[in-house]
Amino acid sequence: MQIKLKCNCGETKCLEWALVELQGVVEPQSTFQDRIQNLEIGILCRPSAQEMYTFTVGYHELTGSKVSLKKPLLVLKKTRSVDEDQSSDIKSGNAELEVIGIIRQRILFKTRPKALISSAMFNPTMVFASSEPEPLVKERSRASGSAVKGQTT
Amino acid sequence: MEQQNPHGRGADAVLNLQPNSSISIAYHSLFGPHDDLVLLEVDEKLLEEVLHQRVSIRGQPEEDAVFCTKSKTYGIKYVGTSNSVLLIPPSGRSEYYKNELDSHQTDNSKEVAPVIKVAPGIMELHEIAPRIDKLKLLLSEEPYSFADEWENEAADKYEKRMYSWDDLINKVQASDDELKAGLQALSAVEIDGYWRIVDEKYMDSMLQMLLHNRILNDWSLDALDEDVIMKVMKMDGFPEKLVQHCLHVYGDKLDGNEGKSCLWRLDEKRVCVHFAREVLRKGKMKLEHLMDEWRQKIPLGMCANFDMLEGEVLTERLGVETWVRGFRVCQLPSNPAERFTILFKERPKWEWKDLQPYIRDLTVPGLSSEGLLLKYTRRTQPNPEAEAVFSAR
Repeated sequence: MQIKLKCNCGETKCLEWALVELQGVVEPQSTFQDRIQNLEIGILCRPSAQEMYTFTVGYHELTGSKVSLKKPLLVLKKTRSVDEDQSSDIKSGNAELEVIGIIRQRILFKTRPKALISSAMFNPTMVFASSEPEPLVKERSRASGSAVKGQTT
Repeated sequence: MEQQNPHGRGADAVLNLQPNSSISIAYHSLFGPHDDLVLLEVDEKLLEEVLHQRVSIRGQPEEDAVFCTKSKTYGIKYVGTSNSVLLIPPSGRSEYYKNELDSHQTDNSKEVAPVIKVAPGIMELHEIAPRIDKLKLLLSEEPYSFADEWENEAADKYEKRMYSWDDLINKVQASDDELKAGLQALSAVEIDGYWRIVDEKYMDSMLQMLLHNRILNDWSLDALDEDVIMKVMKMDGFPEKLVQHCLHVYGDKLDGNEGKSCLWRLDEKRVCVHFAREVLRKGKMKLEHLMDEWRQKIPLGMCANFDMLEGEVLTERLGVETWVRGFRVCQLPSNPAERFTILFKERPKWEWKDLQPYIRDLTVPGLSSEGLLLKYTRRTQPNPEAEAVFSAR
C-alpha cells in the first residue's frame, strides 16, 4: 500500500514546534505520578542576550544553549480515516500521514545538572534523574527530591 | 472568557524567549505518549519534496516501509534516544490549545509552554536501492501469451493475477521513476490497463512472423514502415499493441520522418541475442554447436558475434573443447547479497572479465563498484601479472 504524506501548511507557513532536550529523565514525585497534566516541569530562563539558557527542574539547574538542527525534523501525525468498517482495524488501509509542524532548532542541555542548595523558591514537584553515566547522581537527586516532599502538599 | 490570553504560549514563546525573561515549561493538559506523533528527519532537499506533497510511504504491512520521492527510495530507520526530548506545539495548533484557559491551573500571569509528549526517538532516512525484484515476481505470475487471445475476453479477467500501475505502486517498494525503469528493464507493456511481460514463445513467433513478412515483402531491416507492418501483422492475427511492443523490444524508432509513418530499424544485437537464447534453451552444448545453430537462425543480413552474449552465457573449457550454457544476468536478483550468493554457487571462482557482465548493473547508493566487490568478494592475485580472481568472502 502507499500512504501519501500530506502537507497542508505549504511552503511558506509550516508552523515551528519547540524542542527542549536534556540528558537523563525528569520524573514527577511519586505523589504526582498519576496526574501530571498541567504540572510544571521547570522554568526555562534566558539570562542574557546570548542564546544561552538555564532550565531549573526541582533543585537542579541545567545550563544549555539553542542550536540549529543540521537537518530539520518534521512533526508527522498519523491519522486513520473513519469511513472503514469496524472489523478491519488491523488492516491500516486508510492510514494517513500529515505534516503538522517543523522543528529547526532545539534548546539543548547537555551538561550535568548543578544542585541548587537551600532555595525555597523552587517548587520541588519534579526530580531530575540523570540516566548516565553513574547511578550515584540519580540516587542523590531522588534523595533531594524526596526530602522536600512534605513541603509540596 | 476564551481567547483572552495576552501572553505568548507554546513553541513561539519558547523560540522567541527574550533576554532576561523566563517561561514555565509544564506538562500539557493533553500530555501523553501520543504514538500518532512521530519525528522525521529530512534534509533541505527532501523537505522541499515533502512540502510539495511529492512523497509517499510504500510497503505492505509485513514489509519495512520505505519513503519514496518521485525518483528515489529511502529506508526508514528508527533511532531511539536516552535523552528527554520535550515537544512543545505552537499555539497556532488549535487542537492542542482549545481549552487551555479552562484547564491550566498555573498562574495566568505566567507564561507557560506546554509539553505534549516526550519523544523517544526520531525516524531517519537513508537512500537505498529500490526493492524492484518483486516487480519481476509479480509480472511473471501471468505473462501475456497466446492464451490471452484465445480465451473468452471478460470471463477470466478476474481470476488472472494482473497488475495495473496503481496495484504496482501499492505492492512494489520503489519510487515512480524506479518503477518505470524496472518495467522497461523487464520489457513490460501496458495492455488493457495492466502491466504485463510477454512470454518468450509469443515474442518469438511475433519476431519470426515479422522477419518472414520482411522476406515476402522485401522490406529493409533498417527502415521498416510502421503503418505497413501494422497492417500486415494484423492480418496475421497479432494485436497492434503487441506489434508495437515487438518493435520497441527489437528495434529503434528512426527520427526525421515527420508527417509520414514512423520508420524502425531492427537492432542487430537484440535480434541475435533473442535467437541465441532460443538455441541455449536446449541446455549445455559445445561452443561450435551453439554458433552453428545460432547462425542458421538469425535473419539474413545480420551477423552473429559471440561477444553479443556477454551476460547471457557461461563458458567452460573442458580439455580442448569449449562448452557453453545459458546463464542470464537479467534473471538474477538485483539485491547484491543475493546476486553474489547465486554467482558463487554457480562458480566458486570468477575471473574479472567473466564476472563483470554479471555485476555491472548492480547499484547500491553510497557504494562504488569497488566497494561492492570489497564487501561481497575476496580478491586473489597470485602475482601482479596474473588475472585477479574473485571468490566468496
